[in-house]
Amino acid sequence: MPKINLTRRQFLKASGASLFLAGLPLPGFTKDEPPGTISVIMLEGGMDGLTAVPPFGDPNLMRMRKNLIPDNYLKLNSFFGLHPSFQYFSGLMANNNASVIHATNFPYTKRSHFEGQNLMQGGGLNPFSETTGWLGRALDLAKTPGRSMSLDMPLLLRGAHENDNFFPASIRNSGTLKTDLINMISNVHAEQSSSIFTKVSKKSTQKESVVPRDPASLAKYAGKAMSMEGGPLSSVIKVDQFDTHSNQGSDEYGRHGERLAIIDDIIAGYKEGLGDAWDRSIILTLTEFGRTVKENGTWGTDHGWGSAGLLAGGAINKSRVISNWPGLAEKDLFEKRDLISSIDYRSVCAACIEHALGLDHDLIADKVFFTPSLSRVYDYIFS
Amino acid sequence: MNEEFRIAQKLGLMFLPDSPIPQNISLWATRQLSAKSPALGVKRVRSYHKPKVSEWPQSLQPNLQKRDEMFWTYKENVEKHQRNMPGFQTEADRNRNRQENLMEDLDALKFAHRNVYGEDQLRLRFNAFWANHFRTANIFDNGNHIGHAIEEAILANLNGDFSNMLYKVTTHPSMLIYLDNIWSAGPNSQEAVWAKRDGKQAGLNDNLGRELLELHTVSPSAKYTEADIKGAAKILAGWGAEPGRVSGDKLISLSERNNKIKKIGGTLNSWNYFKTTYAEPGNKTVMGKTFGPGKQALRELTDFLGSHDHTINYITFKLAQHFVSDTPSQSDLNHISRAWIDSKGNLDQIHTAVIERAIASKEPKFQWPMTWLFQVIRLSGANGFIGWEEEQSNDYNDNIMRTNKIFEELGQGFWLPGQPNGYSSDKNEWLSGEMFERRIRFATSLYNAGFPTQKVENIMDRVGANSVTRELVDSVMGGRRKFVALMCSPEIMGLDNA
Repeated sequence: MPKINLTRRQFLKASGASLFLAGLPLPGFTKDEPPGTISVIMLEGGMDGLTAVPPFGDPNLMRMRKNLIPDNYLKLNSFFGLHPSFQYFSGLMANNNASVIHATNFPYTKRSHFEGQNLMQGGGLNPFSETTGWLGRALDLAKTPGRSMSLDMPLLLRGAHENDNFFPASIRNSGTLKTDLINMISNVHAEQSSSIFTKVSKKSTQKESVVPRDPASLAKYAGKAMSMEGGPLSSVIKVDQFDTHSNQGSDEYGRHGERLAIIDDIIAGYKEGLGDAWDRSIILTLTEFGRTVKENGTWGTDHGWGSAGLLAGGAINKSRVISNWPGLAEKDLFEKRDLISSIDYRSVCAACIEHALGLDHDLIADKVFFTPSLSRVYDYIFS
Repeated sequence: MNEEFRIAQKLGLMFLPDSPIPQNISLWATRQLSAKSPALGVKRVRSYHKPKVSEWPQSLQPNLQKRDEMFWTYKENVEKHQRNMPGFQTEADRNRNRQENLMEDLDALKFAHRNVYGEDQLRLRFNAFWANHFRTANIFDNGNHIGHAIEEAILANLNGDFSNMLYKVTTHPSMLIYLDNIWSAGPNSQEAVWAKRDGKQAGLNDNLGRELLELHTVSPSAKYTEADIKGAAKILAGWGAEPGRVSGDKLISLSERNNKIKKIGGTLNSWNYFKTTYAEPGNKTVMGKTFGPGKQALRELTDFLGSHDHTINYITFKLAQHFVSDTPSQSDLNHISRAWIDSKGNLDQIHTAVIERAIASKEPKFQWPMTWLFQVIRLSGANGFIGWEEEQSNDYNDNIMRTNKIFEELGQGFWLPGQPNGYSSDKNEWLSGEMFERRIRFATSLYNAGFPTQKVENIMDRVGANSVTRELVDSVMGGRRKFVALMCSPEIMGLDNA
């Protein structure tokens, strides 16, 4: 099996991530400042929950995927372990500031990246049914629209109110933005594109700050912005390349392990940047699907269903692994191949919104996820 | 904008400053489908001297076997660096290894040069469309293959049948590596039997089978099942050569490497590489059709999928949305799918139908970031990209960024990491402050460092700029501001063709 030649540090420097900030309270519009902040780490490609948080108590784990299990895992309890890439996260677990939800995902079982990614962001009842995202809608309900920051606006943050995104440009010989020029250009554009140029114009009046681009520094930057008075209430960081169909590896140097290490670094970056604001923050991961329980023929895993969700932040005051474990025996799997999602991850998202934005669960269930009967799992996570 | 430039914007890359404007623009557009242009480019770019355009040197366009060997050499050298062997210790050694053996920077530059200097602008737009449809992004080990796939599997097959292009792309190492097919083994293959006996592992990987159905051909509207995906994966099992090192912990010579590759797949040609010991014996079924054992089943599968109703409808919509309108009409779609059906998937006929509808539709098409950049460079005669000699050197006039850095800052490029669904052609995916800021910045940068040969007034006269554009340009002061205003006007961005 070919091995990855990059050391972890080189790798992190080379790997891209995108940051999105959103939810600026509008003076005179937002009545009460919401109680907390909510950040999402979006994992593109399908995170393998069984690698991230291996259920060692299940006798079928080693039988189904012996090459994918690290031998230096960290023990969480008698049943679950934690991947060695999660050094920082394990410290948070020990300090009662992080939790894991296992065997969970959105109710989508068709294993397409693109439908799955659309659904986990749109939060609708079907792929491609929504033009706004669940977080965007939640921010609208909390009356905290505002700008976000990245190279492309993820569906997750799109709401009825205008969000907008800026990621620092680094284009040689492009000088500084000229406000008057941009205003002139904006004037001749039609409504939609004109309003976008107006935002560029507004941005041109602000002081430019240098933002590094590696994932951990982006998280630190986001945390810092969110910690400030009147700062954004929400941020999203996107990490790609979890789609390890081959040579997935097992430990922290494997293809999947290196991606998990990025999550760990992002959470550490958030903690540092947030400072005291950590206490009212919640960070959660989001991925389109888990991966097949059984290792495939090329030392990797294919598209599955149930995965794990990682939660971190001062909003959590007791660490737990929250799971209604469905089992890994073939008869317990979805279509004989996938870990069943026994906890609807929309409920987890709803609980985080409820905590961070102070919205009522029934309102979130109805207006954000269009599912009035959505279970409330708040007490399992935050009590 | 006059009709000639309106069509060159929608379907091409704009007429270069010294190229004649065709008399009959519709005729020109269809004739462009068979236009031939070598890979034109520039050796180096020196400030305000207009660089001399010439053909890319053959030495910088290695064939596939050479590319495979270069990538193997690169990986072997990386291993030597890890062992800290003499000559493989310094940062300079590392850079040299990259420069000598990796093609992704030169290939990206060649693609940019073609688009900036090429005389086959309309073909190049269709080339970019298909390169995006069959996206093979730069992750894992296919950096040396992306450029080859775009040139040889797509551009070289633009005048044939869709099914043929589909087969050529599906079997190209860029696709087989990117979507993880190279180690996939049939569950009952010889390899799987041996692996089981030895307590090792070998088996199926369904990644390419899944995307072949979902993204490249029939799309989820065909309501295929997991069993169909598995059937496709079984047909694909065996295809593809391992890139990079093939010798575990041992360092070996090139001839040893080649012998090994030849022994496994019977050939050094990684574009026709089928490992019989990995192939699944017996029949396979995909969407109700049965395929026999052996290598030829893949061609039968791509022919079957390539002419499927759902493929025709799905790709017809993608073509129409890219070239005709963000919201193509049913008659646009019917016209294109009819040409597809009548010609049995002949790309010349399909593309001709696209051209006809794009011309007939007066709707503007907002252009992709990369297309806009190429168009702005061609309209203005600016230098937007460095020369091939500079791309290979650490020491050059660095007013212009490295090519893949330009694509990264644009937020779009075929040599960046990315997902296999490619870039959207829907303008709503691109309308954001971030993207607009980048256009302002790139226009500014082209004026500051690219030494445009054309004055703003001349460009406006030539394209027949409308009164809104002229008033905008008149209302701002100074050459640079006028240039930026023109290039970011609704008209030049493709938001308004009035």
